Amino acid sequence: MATLLVDGQRVEARAGDSLLVAMLRTGVHPIGGGCLCMGGDCPNCLVTVDGVAYTRSCQVPARDGMVVRREHLGGEEPALLSDEPTSAGDAAPVRHVHCDTVVIGQGDSGREVAREARDAGLDVVTLDARDGQQVTGVYPGPLVVAADRAGRVLHVHPRREIVVATGAAEIQPIVPGSDLEGLVTARAAAELVAAGIDLGRAVAVGERPAGLPGDALVAHFPVGEGGWELVRFEGDGRIEAVIVRRHGDAGTTEERIECNTAVLGLGRNPCNALARMASDLPVRVVGSAAMEPELPPCPGDGTVCPCSGVTVADLDGVWERGFHEMELLKRATLAGTGTCQGGVCLPYLRSFLLQRGGRLQPAFTARPLNRQLTVRELAAGAHTAVTARSPLHDEHLSLGARMDRAGGWWRPWTYDRKDDEYRSVRERVSLGDVSSLGKMAISGPDAEAFLERIVPTRVATIRPGRCRYVLMLDERGYLLDDGMLCREADQDAGDRFFLTSTSGGSGFFELWLRDWVEAFSCDVRILNQTASLAAINVTGPLAARLLARAGARELPAFGRHRQARIAGVDCRVVRLSFTGELSYELHHPAADARTLWRRLLAAGAGFNVQPHGLETLLRLRLEKGHIVIGHDTDYDSTPRRLAHEWAVNLNKGDFVGRQAILRTNKQPLDKRLVTLLTDDPPPRETVEGPSAEGAAIHDGERYAGYVTSDAGTTAGGGAPMLGWLYLDAEGSLPREVTVDGRTARRVDGPTYDPEGERARAAVDIASESPQNVREFPVARPEATDLTAEAPAEPPRLRRLEATRVSATPKALDALVEQPPWPAGALAFRIAPDELLVTATPDLEVAGDPHAIVERETAFSYVWLDEAKAERFLERECEWRRPDARPAFAQGEVAGIPAKLWFEAWRTLVLTPAPFAAAFQRRLTRSLEEPDGDDA
Amino acid sequence: MNEFVERQMKLTWRPPKKSYDVVIVGAGGHGLATAYYLATRHGMSNVAVFERGYIGGGNSGRNTTIIRANYGIPAAVRFYQRSVDLYRGLEEETDRWLMHQQKGILWMAHSEAAVRAERMRAKLNTEFGAETEFVGPQQVHELCPQLDMSGGGRWPVLGASYHPQGATARHDRVVWALAEGAMQRGAHVHQNTPVEGLILDGERVAGVRTAAGDVAAGAVVSAVGGHVSRIAAMAGLRLPIRTHRLQAFVTNHYRQQFGPIVASSELFFYASQTARGEMLLGAEIDPQPSFSYRSSHDFVQDVCRRALCLLPFMSNLRVLRQWTGVCDMSPDYSPIMGQTGVPGFYLTTGWGTWGFKAIPAGGEQMAELIATGEVPELIAPFGLDRFARDRTMADRGSAGTH
Amino acid sequence: MSLRIPCPTCGGRSVHEFVHGEIRRVPDHLTDPDERDLDFAFHHDNEEGIVTERWFHAQGCRRWFEIRRDTTTDRIVEAGES
Repeated sequence: MATLLVDGQRVEARAGDSLLVAMLRTGVHPIGGGCLCMGGDCPNCLVTVDGVAYTRSCQVPARDGMVVRREHLGGEEPALLSDEPTSAGDAAPVRHVHCDTVVIGQGDSGREVAREARDAGLDVVTLDARDGQQVTGVYPGPLVVAADRAGRVLHVHPRREIVVATGAAEIQPIVPGSDLEGLVTARAAAELVAAGIDLGRAVAVGERPAGLPGDALVAHFPVGEGGWELVRFEGDGRIEAVIVRRHGDAGTTEERIECNTAVLGLGRNPCNALARMASDLPVRVVGSAAMEPELPPCPGDGTVCPCSGVTVADLDGVWERGFHEMELLKRATLAGTGTCQGGVCLPYLRSFLLQRGGRLQPAFTARPLNRQLTVRELAAGAHTAVTARSPLHDEHLSLGARMDRAGGWWRPWTYDRKDDEYRSVRERVSLGDVSSLGKMAISGPDAEAFLERIVPTRVATIRPGRCRYVLMLDERGYLLDDGMLCREADQDAGDRFFLTSTSGGSGFFELWLRDWVEAFSCDVRILNQTASLAAINVTGPLAARLLARAGARELPAFGRHRQARIAGVDCRVVRLSFTGELSYELHHPAADARTLWRRLLAAGAGFNVQPHGLETLLRLRLEKGHIVIGHDTDYDSTPRRLAHEWAVNLNKGDFVGRQAILRTNKQPLDKRLVTLLTDDPPPRETVEGPSAEGAAIHDGERYAGYVTSDAGTTAGGGAPMLGWLYLDAEGSLPREVTVDGRTARRVDGPTYDPEGERARAAVDIASESPQNVREFPVARPEATDLTAEAPAEPPRLRRLEATRVSATPKALDALVEQPPWPAGALAFRIAPDELLVTATPDLEVAGDPHAIVERETAFSYVWLDEAKAERFLERECEWRRPDARPAFAQGEVAGIPAKLWFEAWRTLVLTPAPFAAAFQRRLTRSLEEPDGDDA
Repeated sequence: MNEFVERQMKLTWRPPKKSYDVVIVGAGGHGLATAYYLATRHGMSNVAVFERGYIGGGNSGRNTTIIRANYGIPAAVRFYQRSVDLYRGLEEETDRWLMHQQKGILWMAHSEAAVRAERMRAKLNTEFGAETEFVGPQQVHELCPQLDMSGGGRWPVLGASYHPQGATARHDRVVWALAEGAMQRGAHVHQNTPVEGLILDGERVAGVRTAAGDVAAGAVVSAVGGHVSRIAAMAGLRLPIRTHRLQAFVTNHYRQQFGPIVASSELFFYASQTARGEMLLGAEIDPQPSFSYRSSHDFVQDVCRRALCLLPFMSNLRVLRQWTGVCDMSPDYSPIMGQTGVPGFYLTTGWGTWGFKAIPAGGEQMAELIATGEVPELIAPFGLDRFARDRTMADRGSAGTH
Repeated sequence: MSLRIPCPTCGGRSVHEFVHGEIRRVPDHLTDPDERDLDFAFHHDNEEGIVTERWFHAQGCRRWFEIRRDTTTDRIVEAGES
């Protein structure tokens, strides 16, 4: 016995009662009137259950403690005060179920199909409304989505077939009085009687209801050819009489029968919406869901669409005014747009249009959702995009950084010492975390030829050990990204390069490169090291001295790079400059980033070294006139518009965007990205942040462009800005303009250190006396021994120490055939030409002299025992896992790219380290989520 | 009584003639608006609109009904502001209730980069007549108390650009009012009459082949959505257009009032409340080209997940219905309007995810072009030749999600 | 889940794991280099029907591959099927 509250009144339900039956038992109609079908096909039993409005009470089992309201609250009160993460925004739990065949509906025909399929050895999943499984839609995938009675959402992925066995809905009466209480369909009457509910004086109209005792009816009026016609129901709130009439030879006979209940058997329409919304998927419709729809008589009067309150008079009105198409009739009245999605009105709309227009029009399109799940149920299994973390993320937090999302990464925006962050770069030395830069190792016989085709600079003139700023253009000649290109100094293994992209472009970088590799059929190896390598920019006039104190003995000159051991960590040291100061970018294995960062801070303590955040970096580079891709550049930014022609060599061979540059150069130039300098103070009180960004630039009265970057007044005095400036009618760029009412002049070149002397300064680290040079312990990696590890409790992701190889498929085949690594090491073939192996990077790839073999610490791993793996993957992996053991598979898990290694009793999960924190959170939550067994 | 039943408009259907001054292909908002403005502004009513299905059955009846002018480039801001202004007067002009409601749009920022972008948007828009201001968290909260300002602890609202003229209108009624207005003045609209070919007279397009026979025309305008590349190919043109699906959904009635339209570029969704009280949500296009009207689960799933971050009150609202339209995307995220280089053949396309808000201005300007033979200044930057002239109208940021 | 893309290395995965790529074809009748370049840069076949296209499995093997798909239905055309 369950007790529920309906509008504050206690209602006792019996075992097995649906909520509707429980309410009817106490004489409560869920919405006050309207014919009840008890099949989920009409909108006449919708109530609010535990805060969820528009719930079909016939489809919900009565449960103890349920709070039911007979009005639709439509959502909860807004959460206004939440500064903390709340659970209000959580999605419902999901289960991914893989099978051969899913059968929707377990009536006679559905059960029969399921039995046959099982007999044929197929893996069958059945879903049935009577078991509380509400199927919301059949989607491409194929995918069948259903909510179950435990509040979980099932995502059923059938390999072979979807069988729709959802039966037929009974046609509802559309006559005056059809909104009275006391009307039920024939099928509903039988169910109510079976549940022990007294129908009182019952009159049947239409088909004689099955399953009713013989004495249950006081009268029965068959309808249709030669039979009776339903005219109206009479009553005040509750039905008192049914009026029917019959046309005979002796004229029209009308009868009025007093009753407590009208039982209506007016015909049936197939419930085939799920099949219709999936017409090009492998769907089979069986049983009465496959029947031809029966057409009721054209309605004469009454409410045709109870969801939207549309009457027959409304239909007539729009018909008379020219709305003759089914879809127009629907849109002009909104009939069919409510919860039952036309379940009640559609047959009548068709008969109405047939009668008026003489043409039988098809049903309107079946659209999801067939059963309306809630937002939290529909969100089940989805995750918001993850933001990557640098290996120094926690270091920034401990230094008080405010982190911000930028280009898909968490970056330190400021350490809340803005002025000092700036001064430490300009006057002393500072550290910047640039680990989020895209980083790509490129080798192979065609490496140079390939790079010549994708960057507009002449690669041939980059000598070993040198590096150069490069643009990357798209095929339209527009700037896509920029970065630096280093040619390796060590030429023993043939030509090899290291190419970076911006942080924002790092996600796109690899696919862009590989796309052109294939387009040009180049023989190259590419290894994406974006996450593998962290990068710290040591910048400021004392940068070299800091590095010397950290153990550097030789540093590259400007425009060069070299391998060096800094503070015990092996680094590629690149000397270019974005800040305008003497700068060294230290690229090093991600696993060593924290060590290096801490040791650099310690070594520079005497110089009062400080880290700087992104906000300061944006200001520093602005003083140098350096562009930020996506902020200063626009979709149509050709090198000419950006005043970056110096980075383009049109005299070398073809490269991506070259023909477009030649083509567009024939058009007159319209605008240019320029540096503007103003000495005037900002005209208004500046709010925090750059004030003139987006401001219009005027040349006299003429609109002449807008500002893209502004960092306010800087140390040098004036406020430099970047902005798009349109040429005037004479085709020239004005020298003086106004911005926000301030006078600004266009300057050529950077406003800070125009000659670039600071960045190119000669360096002498001999002055760092030897006693200042500290010896740091050297980080010596050892490959993770995965086989020796048992699944930990609770499961915790840890950084994997491994090796990644890019080589020809043939060479990798040979390598895997006779592995040079220890027997316990695991090797995963990520792609035909890429291998991840838990061994040290000293291995030889005999079959490919151009192979790239690098230490790889960019993955985090965890072993899960069989039960936990099953539990986790059932919730967070939507794709079908391999059946064989052992097996390797990769794809998205918990919304994050993952690699899985399945052994007999345990499963290894690998995920990129920048996403490890998010992955850990999702793993833990998933393992802690209650099972939610059926209540 | 259902107050939303259409009780005013009258559509008058007439049999097709053999010849018209202007034939418009596609009876969506843009095609019908062109006919409407030809009739009302230029006295041209020997005009026919041919439609393969029913009027407004394509994207005009599948969009999310948002009207706004806060775009990212001056030419676009001016053009959409014209449309905002025309929309505001359209109920009075047509004497029809279009459920036009000015409610303001908040475009939220969850990161410093987004704050900068929204500040820039506000400045640029205000400069070109589309009033927009940057507002801080407190004002955002006051404008839309239902927002979880912490963004579920992960997507805090750091501010927003606020465009008070942002509005919505009932899409179908806009289409019908324009159809009715054109029909009243003698224009013809032919439903269920697909255009199957173009009649060429030398270089010139001189009419259309339809399912109901050949029809001569002084000018032919393609205002189709979803199949424009096919129509253009009949005139020998290749277009910078790819067609993508765009999906949306509504929930059941939400009892409280949800004031503004809210959008988030970082969470990729936007939400507003319909006149019927439903919450209407949309997001970005599907990345791959497609002409399929099939809705997908991942769309509703992902948008629900993202919406819950900012609008947790929606948690227990039921999603009533989802649907799909197809969007013709141009490479620079701006429309393509005007002459085509083929005499007698005009185009209005590239309406991507921003077609509804442009209906009145698009129709008005196309009508002026056809009636006068002169390219109006407002749409001159949007010509098809801009790609060859290296004058693309890059507006990716503000085309954004809708 | 929605459209399922068959990656030859990793198997069928949700379209969300992939990045779409187009195979652009410049019509032969264009001969002027600038005209060809303009067409390559901006124009699309935008075909209604079966197209050959490229996908990059960003969440898996991170490689490109080709498949055929019917753009009117999104159905993937199996290898060997015409």
